[in-house]
Order: sequence, then C-alpha cells, then structure tokens
Amino acid sequence: MAVSTAPPIMEVSGVTKRFDKFTAVNDVTFEIYDGEFFTLVGPSGSGKTTLLRMLVGMEKPTTGELRLRGKRINELAPNKRPTCMVFQSLALFPHMTVGQNVEFPMSIRGVSSSDRRTRSFELLHLLHLNPEIYYQKNITQCSGGERQRVALARALAYDPDILFFDEPLSAIDAQLRKVLQKELKDIQRRTKKTFCYVTHSLEEAMVMSDRVAILRKGAIEQIATPDEIYSSPKNAFVAEFMGEVNLLPITTLGDGTAHWHAGRNALPPLIIKIPTSSMPMAAGIVCKLLIRPESLRFISRSEHAENMVPVRILNEFSLGSRIQYHVEIAPDWTLIVERLREERTTATEAILAWETRDSQVLEA
Amino acid sequence: MKTILAKKLGTFAAGLPGLLSSAPFLLLMAFGFVAPLLCVVWFGLMPPKTFDLGQMPTLENYRIIFGQTYFKSILWSLGLALVTVVILLVICYPLAFAIAKIFRGGGYFITYAIVTSLFVSENIRLFGWVIGFMKNGVIGGTMAKFFQISMDSLLYDIPVIILGMVYVYLPFMLFPLVLGLKMVPDQVREAAFDLGASRWQVFKKIDLPLSMPGVMIGSLLVFVLSIGAISEAKILGGQKIVTIASDIETEFTYAQNWPLGSALSTLFIALTTVVVFFALARFDLEKLLGKKSS
Repeated sequence: MAVSTAPPIMEVSGVTKRFDKFTAVNDVTFEIYDGEFFTLVGPSGSGKTTLLRMLVGMEKPTTGELRLRGKRINELAPNKRPTCMVFQSLALFPHMTVGQNVEFPMSIRGVSSSDRRTRSFELLHLLHLNPEIYYQKNITQCSGGERQRVALARALAYDPDILFFDEPLSAIDAQLRKVLQKELKDIQRRTKKTFCYVTHSLEEAMVMSDRVAILRKGAIEQIATPDEIYSSPKNAFVAEFMGEVNLLPITTLGDGTAHWHAGRNALPPLIIKIPTSSMPMAAGIVCKLLIRPESLRFISRSEHAENMVPVRILNEFSLGSRIQYHVEIAPDWTLIVERLREERTTATEAILAWETRDSQVLEA
Repeated sequence: MKTILAKKLGTFAAGLPGLLSSAPFLLLMAFGFVAPLLCVVWFGLMPPKTFDLGQMPTLENYRIIFGQTYFKSILWSLGLALVTVVILLVICYPLAFAIAKIFRGGGYFITYAIVTSLFVSENIRLFGWVIGFMKNGVIGGTMAKFFQISMDSLLYDIPVIILGMVYVYLPFMLFPLVLGLKMVPDQVREAAFDLGASRWQVFKKIDLPLSMPGVMIGSLLVFVLSIGAISEAKILGGQKIVTIASDIETEFTYAQNWPLGSALSTLFIALTTVVVFFALARFDLEKLLGKKSS
C-alpha cells in the first residue's frame, strides 16, 4: 500500500503522443509502484485515456519510453503484455456466460478446465457473486453492478502485473458507484495487485487511491497522495478541480497583505491578509488565494477576526449535514460558504470572516 | 366458461390493430404467395401433360421423376449452391471485415462500387463474361495477339459456371457479413486481445460467433438464390450441365408438361425448405440476434 523504496513496477519517461498536429499527451513522466492504487485523473480532453491506451499497448507513444519491471515495452502488443484493462464499456463477451467470461484469459493460456473452474469460483466469491447462481448466467441477464464485478473477475483471472481501469464506474448511478469504489479498494488491498485507475472525478480518485496524478492538457500538474493534494494543491487548477472552493484573484502588496479584485466590476479592491509562511512574497505578484467554503464563517458585529467583510446572503442549499450559502460582496463578486446545520443563519446581511492561516496562496 | 370466452375475445380485440395494420401485406402474401404455391402443389398431382386442375389427383408425376435422372439436376443445383456459398464465405469474410472494421469511411466506396454493378441486369453482365471468355474473346484474343498463345474457349465448363455464380451473388453474401461484423463491438475485440488472445483466437472466439447472424443470413440468402439459379449454367455453361431450375423451365415451356414441372417445383421447394430449416434449427438465428439487442 505505502509507496515502497523498491524500484517501480512501471516507469513512464518523457512520453508524448501526437495525432497529426494535436498533442494529446505531452512529455509525461511518472512511476507506478508495486502494489499501489494509482489514479490518473483529469477533465475530458486532458489526455488521460490516450495515456492509458499507451500504457496497455493499444497506442504507441510518439516519443518517450515505457518500461515494465525495467524492460522497454513500447513495441509490445497488448496480448504480449502482462497487463490488462477493465474497459469503460466493460467489453464483456455477450455470447458467453459469466463463467466463460471469467475463464477466457485462462482458456487462452491453456489452463485445464477443472483448474479454470476452481479459479473462476474463487474469483466470483471474492467479488461477492455466488458462483452457484452466476457461473451459468448469461452476461445479458446481469445487472450493471454485476457486470462490473464480472469484468473485474475476468481481468483478475488474467493475473496481470498491473490492472488498468478506464473509468468503468462512470455509467453507474451515484449510490452504487460509492459502494463499488470501496469494494474496488478493498479488493486491491486483498489481492495486493497494482491498480492503475483513470477517472475524471477527483472525488473518486481521492476515495480509492494511494497516489493520484492530475492531468491537464496532456501534462501532469501534480502527483501526490490524496491527503497532500487536499492539504496543499499545487496550483489553482488542482484546487478548483477538487470541487467547490473559493479562489480569490489577488495581487500581493509585499507586506503580508494583498489586493482582492472584484469580478467584473471596476470596484476598488479590498485589502486582505495573506499567509506569508510558505513563500516570501514580493509586491505586485498576481496569483490566487484558496479559501475552502468551510473555512469561512459568519460573525456578529461584536466579534473580531483577521479578515472581515460585510456580505449579502443570496441563496442557501442543503448538503445534508451542512448548508451551503452563496454570498455576495457586490454584484458579480460572490463566495461560497459552508457551515454545519446547527449554525444555520436566516439573516440576509452578515459579516463574513476567516483566519489568514486557513487560506493558501496558489499560482494562478 | 364465460370468462375464458371473454378473455379470448379480449385478446382478439387487443390484437386487432396489429391485424388491421398488417392486413395489406397478409392479403398480398395470401394471393401472391400462398395461393400460387398451393396451385403448384395441386398441379403436381394432376395426370402428366394435362392442363386441367379438376382431375383425380395422382402420384404419376412423382413416379416419373424418381424413375428418371432428375436427381442429377437436383444434385448439380445443390452442389453448385453449396460450393458458391463456401467460396463466397471465404472471399467475402475478409472483405467484409475490411469494410466494417478497417476502412471505416472508405468502405462506402467499395459498397457503392458493388451496388452500382447491381444496376446492370444479371444476364447482360453474364454475356459480358461470355465475350471475355469465348474463343478469340477478350482474354483469348489478347493472349493470341500479344503472346502468340492460342487458347481454347474458357466457356462451357463447371469452373466458369461457379465463377459466374460467385460473381452474381457476391453482394448477397457481402452486405449481411458487413452488418454482422459491424455488430461486433471494437472494445470487445480489444478486450480479448488485451487478455492475451492471438489474432486467430480473437477471430475464432469473438469475431466469428458474434458475426454469426450475418454469416447465417448471407449463407441462406446465397444458398436459396443460387440453388434456383438458371442463367449462369445456361449462358456460361452451355449444355455442360443442367440445373433443376432449367429442368423445370423446360417442362413448362418446351415440353408443355405443366403437371411434371409443378411436381418438380414442389419437390425442389420442399428440399430447399428442409435444408434451410435444418440450418436455422442448428444455428438459432433469433437467439443470436436477440443476444445482441440487450
């Protein structure tokens, strides 16, 4: 689970993929370690699927090198690589039963039918599909969640060095997806296999992964553990990708404060305090200040905080245990605030406050 | 008792709109297909060389058929049809694969080229082959003129008949195969490949079973069309062999023996039906098609 000091199982160095003039993946370098759950995450068009197709051998890199256990595999066809992939469409064999699907990679290898059966029963058990019921079932009779499990069982039956996933959960409804995410993580831990997962949802990546690589326009923005990405996103893109956050456009003044500019209107900027511990800030640097919605709070007139600004509360949305408020300082100059349900306010005017240490300066 | 009747009436009423909307086609089939077929079967039971449907039925025609060498024509027709189906499967499968899976857009060009050839009547195209193959024709003449090789006519033999049939029925095999292969999802093929299968294994375990509906439809279409073929054997084959269709034609025209022609037709239809039903039972077409749809 933890990143080991052993040599990586897969090394991707300087890999670029061009289609005519379009560069889908641009000089990407990273490693995957044995037994980890590694996730490539990025918005659509970030090149994550192209990168994945190169890792499994369905595309060849234009330049750069892929090494598996130290050996170059650029030219190795997918059926010669000890890796395999769970497709977005799952790509189950519709003319076969669940059992035949799971046994497919073993029958290709010439495993005896009794051994195949034993192994496929084990795998179906592992994936919470009762073999007595499912072994003979047709793929077409299985539900979406069951098909997910069959696809995973089939991939595990191949016994790959690395198991790749191309957003297999994207077509599943949110509730079941959460269950399957945790199940997937659990199976990865129990089988000690190396998983490399691709998704457009950073939330999904954070739930399952040991390490996450965030892609943008064919290049990697940040590779880190989910904790690191949450606590110290490398730049505004990563922070924004993580979900709803406040990214304030600021210009440093060089003395621990900054000008906070309004959105579209030519209003005079507000002066706010910024944390200076992380990096010394010269004056006149244009950057972003990250403040999480839960770091903002409403205070009464008698209270005092490091940063305070009067706002109007525009809207409130229930998020279950928390309530989200949309507030504005002036028209088109809004922020998102999240508070616990117990601290609910019904006022329309309030004073918004936050501590300087709860904000982070990020590259724009 | 009453409730059962009411239920039956209910089902009938529920099916009524369907029955009404299919009525034009049902009527056409009844008068254009079933009625003539029954006429042919009945005519086959009339005494030979008569033209009256109102006589005592007899099996005399069938006795004559089994007493003579008509079975040879039937075997020729069957044999030619089977050979045509097999050759077309071998030729068309790779081509269909190229159109469906490799050329993508470019496949349309091949499709149009083949469809365009259908605009010209079959007989005219066959006579074109005659000019090509006859003594001192396009091929023979060219060889004699430029290479001083004198060639006999390539016509009036079995290979050229088969060539003609393969040529004429190619579209009827190709297009069902293209549709069949288009039904094989690319990712399913990629997945099999990714799970270690070789190209041959992907073909055997994925492409072929998943494109089976196309293979079956194409084969049945070509079989049924080519077993009744007449022009290829007549135009390209001369008098070398006689097919069953040509026998039937002779009975209805030259011999003016309608009852015998009808009996031959009945026998021939029965035979074709048996072969087709046997094939359909062996490869459950609906099951194959049904599996895809879900």
